[in-house]
Amino acid sequence: MAEVLAEGFNVFDTGKSPSGTVKYLSSPADVISLIQSGKLSEHILLVQGGTTTFLAPALSMGAIGVITMSGAPESHLGILSREFQTPCVMTAHLTTSESRYVVGATDSAHFEEIAKELDGRQVRLDCTDHEVGRVVADD
Amino acid sequence: MTTTEGKRATYKQRYEEADDGLRFQELTYTGNFVGMEPVTDGIKGDKTMKARAKSTVLERVSKDDVLRDDFTIDELNDLNNYLAWNIWDVLVMRATEGVSGMIPRQEYEILAFMHEFYRWPELLRMTTDEIGAQGVMDIGASARREIGTKVNSVHDWAIGAVGFGMGRCGLLALEAIGADDYVGESNDILKFMQRVLWGKRQDGYLLNSQDRYRCRIHEQDFLDQLVGQVEPLEPGSPKHGAFTQFNAAAELLSFLDHYDCRLGLGDTGPYELPDGNILILRDLFVNEEVFHWSDVCEDAKLPHCYSLALVIDPEKMGLNEIRVNDISTTFTRPKNYIDAIVGGAVFAREKWDTPMGEVYPIKIDDLAEHLGRVQTATLKLYTKTSKMCRRDLIWNGQYVYYVDMILPHLRRAGTYDKACRDYDLWEVDQRVANYYYDITKRGFAQETVPSKIFSGAGYLPFSDKASLRNSKGRWL
Repeated sequence: MAEVLAEGFNVFDTGKSPSGTVKYLSSPADVISLIQSGKLSEHILLVQGGTTTFLAPALSMGAIGVITMSGAPESHLGILSREFQTPCVMTAHLTTSESRYVVGATDSAHFEEIAKELDGRQVRLDCTDHEVGRVVADD
Repeated sequence: MTTTEGKRATYKQRYEEADDGLRFQELTYTGNFVGMEPVTDGIKGDKTMKARAKSTVLERVSKDDVLRDDFTIDELNDLNNYLAWNIWDVLVMRATEGVSGMIPRQEYEILAFMHEFYRWPELLRMTTDEIGAQGVMDIGASARREIGTKVNSVHDWAIGAVGFGMGRCGLLALEAIGADDYVGESNDILKFMQRVLWGKRQDGYLLNSQDRYRCRIHEQDFLDQLVGQVEPLEPGSPKHGAFTQFNAAAELLSFLDHYDCRLGLGDTGPYELPDGNILILRDLFVNEEVFHWSDVCEDAKLPHCYSLALVIDPEKMGLNEIRVNDISTTFTRPKNYIDAIVGGAVFAREKWDTPMGEVYPIKIDDLAEHLGRVQTATLKLYTKTSKMCRRDLIWNGQYVYYVDMILPHLRRAGTYDKACRDYDLWEVDQRVANYYYDITKRGFAQETVPSKIFSGAGYLPFSDKASLRNSKGRWL
């Protein structure tokens, strides 16, 4: 049984199970740089927010999988990842941590902990469950 | 499909009188009904809210009701409560999305809410004076025989839900107004909304949630013309992929052009087809000419709107419920309907006022060239947006809400130019300008807005002492 590193809302159930190296994107410049590198398809994208615009060009150019640290399937990024059929785990939390995202009451340490733990890890997304999406170690 | 193989579609049970629908979320709503049974989402929630109304304004209302000049205080309170629940129903989960990293949306939203509540009454009153109450209803009715029109669920809903509901709620939270202020102005906004929505639906209801989340507004002969253009699609085939990829890419650009908000998207349906499949019609507004940043879309030679017909096989996905909600967005259970799309068509409307006879179909085999244009515009608009300073992003976003939400109605009424010229539509009112500095203090945009506006906690009722003529008599 592979190690589940993080869990969150599964945006849509799918048999697709993309794998890649987690790439934490913290600014629009990071997004543009990744697209220009030509290596978009090698990465599972990790972002803090659940809005669409931040990842717009990455989604449009063929992102293979997304992990967010806030938001829900009803959020704009959730809607668009469904339309693109890009597997997406939203409001992911680390299975080894008690810290959870709460709207308006979550400090930066929560996000930094997740980014530090996942960024650079080789993972696979498991989005077969109706409700829970899982980030599984694929090292 | 993955986990739905072999499951039968049960979605038609949702349309049976006694059915309460499915729960799409575990949260419940309280609003102004403290101490009473919490309200659920969906069909059951709609039934509860109707049962708690003091007036009949949430039932099917007549044309005479709609033409009356004023709501009663009970009717205003019933609409306030229902809209607050409806906002919670469609937005409470979306509101968990946190920071954008690109566009400060919570900040521009709250400024727009308040701006709308202050400024729209005069604009909507002027428009009603110009074309009459029947003319406002005719604006709504125009949507029955058009695609690519922003006279749609989200825009029509926004007049009352955002301009009145969220605007008043935000100002109450800032303690800038009292619960019995601006009663007359509230009436102006809500009457305009009621007339547009009634004219569009013509079944006596105003909102999709009142009709089990259906927005079946198009006349049959008009629908037949669109369905006649549908091409069959085999899930998993390259043609299916081309259609769904275009749908997603155009939808993404429509969000981006409208600053990450739902105004770029407009679904109607579900329409049941003779073969048992269902049809969703989707407008994707990829080039709004009043936005100066949309020049990149113009450069890419994109039309004002792409309209898509999506034919979904409910049996293929074991469909249990489908909602076309009041912000024009389709959600299903199971959630993934893309693999159940078995037919599609694409149309383009070049300008907002292009006659329907000049709206043209695009063959799915020809979509690749359009997709390239959409992707080019997306990358350029993203790059352009990423270079904007925070203040520009916030005020641009504010204009998207404050102008675009009533733009289709003013355009259709022929009063948009007058609103710009004589009423300074594209100005920022002094009452709102200084809030720019207040909204980031004490977590107002990030915490107060989600807790008050999206949770439904801040929609105070008008009191028994409120006068229908009340504006704001004093600033103390």
